Amino acid sequence: MKAPQQVLIASGLALIAFTMGFGVWYAIFDEHQTLDAIGASLAGAFVHAAGGDMAAAVVSLESYAALDREYRYEVHAHGHWGMLAIILIIMGLVFQRLGLSPPRGLLLAWVLAGSAALFPLGVLLQIGPLLGAGKVLAVAGSAGMIAGMLVFAYCLWRRPQG
Amino acid sequence: MPHGQAAALEARQPIASSSQRLLAIGGILLIVSGMLLGDIFAIFILHPNNARIGEAMYAAAQLVPLGDAEGIVQHFMAVGGFLENRGTKVAAHSHIIHMGYIALLLAMIQPWVALSPASKRRAAWFYIVPAALLAPSIIAIHYVGKAYSPFEHIGWASIFADFFGACLALAVFIQLLGLWRYARSEGRETLSPAYIGAGNAASRALLLGGLLLLVGGFLYGAALAAYKDFAAAPQEIDILKAIVANAAAAQQSLLDQSFADYGQFLKLRALNIAAHAHINEVGILVLLVSFVQAFVQFSDNTRLRWAQLMVFSAFALPAGILLEIPYGIVGSIIADWFGFMLIVSLLAMMFGMLRHTGADDAAAGGKP
Repeated sequence: MKAPQQVLIASGLALIAFTMGFGVWYAIFDEHQTLDAIGASLAGAFVHAAGGDMAAAVVSLESYAALDREYRYEVHAHGHWGMLAIILIIMGLVFQRLGLSPPRGLLLAWVLAGSAALFPLGVLLQIGPLLGAGKVLAVAGSAGMIAGMLVFAYCLWRRPQG
Repeated sequence: MPHGQAAALEARQPIASSSQRLLAIGGILLIVSGMLLGDIFAIFILHPNNARIGEAMYAAAQLVPLGDAEGIVQHFMAVGGFLENRGTKVAAHSHIIHMGYIALLLAMIQPWVALSPASKRRAAWFYIVPAALLAPSIIAIHYVGKAYSPFEHIGWASIFADFFGACLALAVFIQLLGLWRYARSEGRETLSPAYIGAGNAASRALLLGGLLLLVGGFLYGAALAAYKDFAAAPQEIDILKAIVANAAAAQQSLLDQSFADYGQFLKLRALNIAAHAHINEVGILVLLVSFVQAFVQFSDNTRLRWAQLMVFSAFALPAGILLEIPYGIVGSIIADWFGFMLIVSLLAMMFGMLRHTGADDAAAGGKP
């Protein structure tokens, strides 16, 4: 196994183990509480409206929207870490067919591994006060994955015999 | 058998060792179960539940002008139950398929996991058993609820699901440890498993197609996020505010219009997410199938044609889902047809693999 393969496969396995651990932590300490709060906010908006307090109903709806966004971003980060890790391992398995020089191969492997780790982290950071930094990380991670996969596809295309 | 010898055998034959067999067969069974459960859930639970959720919310809105807070809460408790029922089924379906994908990949990297064969077999069991039990635990969350639970927010089924999730994380970490030992071992053999070096045109077409699908999935996801953040996309909160305001003012026709808008919003969101998810899922499936092309015993041309059909269907399936937005049922038919074509091409490859095993058996004089 060459060094770029080690980077891709080991980082893929590490990301899978990490996102499984994150999923367990999230399910125990956050998910159910968030879901309960989402339901309570939405029901609260209707109850406030029934009591004629439209201002409180709007506050409840705003709270519902914020919690729902938080929930979707957390699930999104968990799912994407897992999917990207699977892609890293697959690319690690076929990396030798690209025919890249060792330094270039290693650079491509690190770009892919780093992007796969940072993109979901950027999504997760957008929940809290680091929204701006989160957006930058998410865009950079996403661009890194797209560019890395296009380079990967180009190298495969260039070498018909693999 | 020492590790080096066992690893060389694993690299030559894809299911040579018991750990590879366990992970490969377990992985395939997990994927098949996940797909089957997904179909059953979609028909009997997901679609009927969507209608029930809409009806319960509409009924709650009718109680707003009457000031019936208790009735509203009852309806929303029902909505919560429907959402939990749907959410746990979707999570089980998604987790079981992903655990299957990971099992297949773990089977492929076994030649590079430097543990003794007995440890590798135990590690494989330690992955497969929790992977098989995770989905039933997630499904049970809705039915067990918080009965006899020592915690305020989570019940026993959740506790078991979390326990199996933690076991899976540990099982993957053990594989990582084996890989680290391989990388650190001196004088290690440079193994190149047979399934990786296939290099035939079909394998290449599937690899390229799968990668381009995944790039497409990324671009589509990025475009969706940009549309939501920067364009004048309809926001759920605005529609909900209109529903509450129209309900409070007892404006029935406006309320009906708001619910129609909400239904349209939810449909668009669901179809966009489904398209994005299917592009990525099918992309990974196509990449995984590229690894078995060395064992699909057809002529090069025939093998390439099946691979091309699979790649084309993989692009057309999510396109059909997106066509459901403007064309409704026509888009569904396109998506279903190409989903069926994916299954046909997978079956054709399976027959090719059976021919390969038959040829192997014949070469061995029919002896096992």
